[in-house]
Amino acid sequence: MSEKKYDAIIIGGGHNGLVCANIIAKKNKKVLICEARETCGGLANHEIINYIPSIPNSVTQSIGGLNLQYNPKGSIALSESGRHIRLIGNQHIDHATISNFSTQDADRYLEFDNKMTQFSKTLGGFMMDSPPRVMNNSFSDYLKLFKLGFNVRMMGKKRFNEFARMIGLNIADELEDNFESALLQGLIAHDAVLGSNLGPRSPGSLINLLYRMAIHGNSLFGGIYEIEGGSNKFISVLLDKCSKNNVEIKTSASVKNCLIENDRAIGVELHNGEKVFGKTIISNADPRSTYSSLLGSQNLDTDVKRRIKHHRSKGRVAKLSLKLNKIPEFNECNNDDLNSRMVISPSIDYIEENFNPSKFDKLSSEPVLEICLKNNNENPSLDIQVQYAPYKAHGGWENIKDDYVNSIIKIISKYANNIENCIDSKTLITPDDIEKNYHVSGGHWHHGEIQIDQLFMLRPIPGAAQYKTHLDGLYMCGAGTHPGGGMHGISGKNAAKVVLGDL
Amino acid sequence: MAIDLRYSALKKTPFHSRTSLASRTNHWYTWNGFTVPTEYSTVELEYTAARNGTSVMDLTPMGKYEITGEEAHAFSDYLVTRDLSEMKDNTVAYIIWCNEDGKVIDDGTIFKYSSNKFMLCCAVKIYNWLNDSAEGFNVKIEDVTDTIAALSLQGPTSCSTLKNYGAIGLESLAPFEMKEFNIDGNNVLISRTGFTGDLGYELWIDPKNAEATWDAIFDAGKHLKIRPFGMNALEMTRIEAGFIQTNTDFMAAEDALRPVRMRSPYEIGMGWLVHFKKKNYFIGKKALKKEKEMGSTERCLVGLDIDGDKPAHGSVIYNSKKEDIGIVTAAMWSPTMKRNVALASLRRPYGIKIKDNIFAEIYHPEEIEYRKIWAKCKVVKRQFYSPERRNKVPADLYE
Repeated sequence: MSEKKYDAIIIGGGHNGLVCANIIAKKNKKVLICEARETCGGLANHEIINYIPSIPNSVTQSIGGLNLQYNPKGSIALSESGRHIRLIGNQHIDHATISNFSTQDADRYLEFDNKMTQFSKTLGGFMMDSPPRVMNNSFSDYLKLFKLGFNVRMMGKKRFNEFARMIGLNIADELEDNFESALLQGLIAHDAVLGSNLGPRSPGSLINLLYRMAIHGNSLFGGIYEIEGGSNKFISVLLDKCSKNNVEIKTSASVKNCLIENDRAIGVELHNGEKVFGKTIISNADPRSTYSSLLGSQNLDTDVKRRIKHHRSKGRVAKLSLKLNKIPEFNECNNDDLNSRMVISPSIDYIEENFNPSKFDKLSSEPVLEICLKNNNENPSLDIQVQYAPYKAHGGWENIKDDYVNSIIKIISKYANNIENCIDSKTLITPDDIEKNYHVSGGHWHHGEIQIDQLFMLRPIPGAAQYKTHLDGLYMCGAGTHPGGGMHGISGKNAAKVVLGDL
Repeated sequence: MAIDLRYSALKKTPFHSRTSLASRTNHWYTWNGFTVPTEYSTVELEYTAARNGTSVMDLTPMGKYEITGEEAHAFSDYLVTRDLSEMKDNTVAYIIWCNEDGKVIDDGTIFKYSSNKFMLCCAVKIYNWLNDSAEGFNVKIEDVTDTIAALSLQGPTSCSTLKNYGAIGLESLAPFEMKEFNIDGNNVLISRTGFTGDLGYELWIDPKNAEATWDAIFDAGKHLKIRPFGMNALEMTRIEAGFIQTNTDFMAAEDALRPVRMRSPYEIGMGWLVHFKKKNYFIGKKALKKEKEMGSTERCLVGLDIDGDKPAHGSVIYNSKKEDIGIVTAAMWSPTMKRNVALASLRRPYGIKIKDNIFAEIYHPEEIEYRKIWAKCKVVKRQFYSPERRNKVPADLYE
C-alpha cells in the first residue's frame, strides 16, 4: 500500500468543502483541499449569488462560530403601475401591506403562511441530519424515517391530508385557489421556481418552495440576508478558519481522477500529473463530475451509470451584472425599496410564458428577474438573477447573448426609465458559463434539481445517499447531496460527520 | 411452405425455406422474434442424430452483438465476470454477466477476432444493457443478429460432415477456437463450440449464402446420419451436458420480478467464472466480493441422479425430515446413459455439505392421473455426459 499522507483530501473548495475541511481538521486530522480555480469559494461568490440564508447554528457551532453580520432583506414585487407589494416576513406587517390590495388576500396569506411554515418545519427537521439509507436495515435509519412519519402524522388528520394533497402539487394551483392579486401570486411563484427547472404550473413546484422555506428559517419572505462585506466574506471567514486549523489548500490544482487500489480510493491525480494520497477522498464536485470524471465510468456498474445519466442537473438561471455610474430611478421606490430584493415577476402567467420557450432551449424576450442593488461602495451595481436561461441555448449562447442582455434591460426600463443611461458595463453569466468557469456540470446552482426524485435518501442517486459513493473511501460533500444547495453548509457538515466516523 | 408468414409479425431466418421444408410436424417456436422449428419429426430421432451422427440446428435467432473499437477488449473484460485479459485472437470464451447486485443476467459466448473486435452471443436480447454499460468506453455496439446467419452442427460425425463440405483441416481446431474458411468462394467462420456437450461446431455466415450452405452441408453429410434438429432435442442434450438455461434454471436478473428469485453466479454453479484477480473493475464486482466475503450465498445448482426411470419434471426436493429444500429446474430420462437425471436448485447447505437423504417427489402422469413417486436422489456432478471425443484434437473423423 502507498504511504498515507493526508487523512482527508477534499476535491473542490466550495463553501461545503471548506466547512467539511474545518470540521475534520479540528479533530487533529491532516486535511488537503484541491481547488481547480485560482481561488476557493465556488458558487458562493458575488458573481453568482445575491442573497443567502443565515448559516444554521449546527454548522457554525461545529466550526467554532463564524462571526458574520447579516443584513435582513425585504422583498418587493415591482408593478409597472407603481403599486408594488412589499413583504418582509413579519406576519403583522405583511398582513397590513397586503390589506392595501385586498383584505381577503391578506387574511388568506396568514393562513397560507401558517400552513406552509408548519409543513416546512416538518420537513426541515428531517433535512438537517444525514438522510436514512433504507437499504442498510439499520435501526437508527428506520428511527429517522419513523420520526418523519410521526411528525407528519402529528400534524393531525386534516393537516396530514392537506400535506399529502400538496406534496406533488404545482404552486400555481395553490396560489390561484388562495389569492386574487396577480402580483402577489407572481412573487410567491417566483420564489417557488427560482433556481429550478420548473414553471409555476409544473408538478412539484410546491415542494421546491417548501425546501426554500426550510433553508430560510421556515419563512416565506423572512430569512433572506445579505452578508456584511458581500457573499465572499462568508468564504474569507471560512478560509481564515482553515488556516487556523492547518488545512492545506492547493489552488489551480484541478483533479483529473481518483487513484484506486483494491477497489478503494487511495488518492487523487492532478491534471499536472502530481499524485496525492489520502485515507479518505471527499468530493465537493457535483455528482455527475464525481462519478463520470473522478470515479470514472469504467469503474461503475451499469445500473449506477444509468442513475447518474438520469440525474437532472441542467441549470436555468443566468446572472447579469450591470456596473453603474449612477443609481437608476425605479418608479415609486424609496431608499428602503432599493435596498430590498426587487422581483420582476408580475404574474404566474408571466413566469409560465417565460418558462415555455426554455423547454425548447429558446429564450424569452420577457425574463423573470430578481434584482439586487449593491450601493455600498464607489462602484454601484445591479446584480440580477435571470430566469429562465436555458443551459444550452438554441443558436449558441455566444450569438444571442447581446440581444438577451438588451431584452433584460428593456424589461427593467419599464420600472426604471433611465436605466440605460446608468450602465457602464454588462456581464452575463449563463448556466453554460457556470459549468465552464466553476466546473459544475449543467451549471445548476444546487448541483441537481431539488425534486422529490432527488431528495432525502434519493439525493443525489439511490445507493449513494449518506455522503458515500459507490467507491469505498470516496465521499461527497457538495450541494448534490442531501439536503442540497442554498449556501448553508449542511451537506459539508453532515459529510464531515460521516467521514470522521469512518476515519 | 409449411406456414404462411406473410402476415405474421415473426421474422423468418435465412434458412426458413429449408427448415420449413424439413418440418414434418409444423411445430414452431418463437425465439427472439424469429420462428424456428420446435421439432422437425420426433424428438427421439433428432436427439439420436446429435449423439450418433450430425445434428443441424438453425441458430440464427441467437442474440449476436458486435463490439468494435479501441477499447473493445477492455470493455468485454469489464462486462463479464470472467478474466478475459489474456484471451487470444480467434478464440471463444464461455461467460456470464451480472447486474450491480452481482445477480446473473445471462450466460453466453464471446468471440475474439482481434483486440478491436469481439462478438457476444446469447439467447436473449441485451442491446440496451450493452449500450448502457459501454458508457465511458471507446467502443461501438452493434446488433448483428439479423446480418449473420448461424448453424450449429453437433455430434460425432460433425467434423467429417464439415470436412466433406469443404472445411479443410477442421479436425485440428481445438475446443473454443475459431477459424475462417473459404468454401466455394465464400467466407465461413467456424467455431468449435456448442450446447450439446459433444464434439460440435457452429457456423457463422452471410445470410445470402444460407440456403446454399444448408444444401451443401446436407449433401456432404448424407452418409453420416445428418438430421435437422429442433429446440426440444436441444433441451435434452443440454441437460445431459449440464448446461444451464436462463429463465429455466434461474431467472435472469433483469427479468425477475421478485428479488429473491435472482441468482448470483455461486448459486447456479458459475462461481468458477468469477475472477476477482482481474486488474480492472467488472460489473457486479463489489456485490460479488461482499457475497464471497460474507459467505451469504443461499442456494446452489446441482446435478441429481434419481432412482427409477420417471423424470422428475418440476419436482419439489425434500430432506429426510420432509422439509422442502429446493426444486428441480430441468429433468429427463437420459437415453444415452440410461440414467434418470435432473438439475436442481437447492437451499444450502443441502447439495454442498449435506448430500445424503435427499428425495424428489415425482408426479408421474399416467393417462390423465398422476402417480406419486418418492425417489431417492444422489447429488452428482452437473455434467452428466461428456464423452472423450468432445475435447479430442485432432477431432475424430469418419468415412
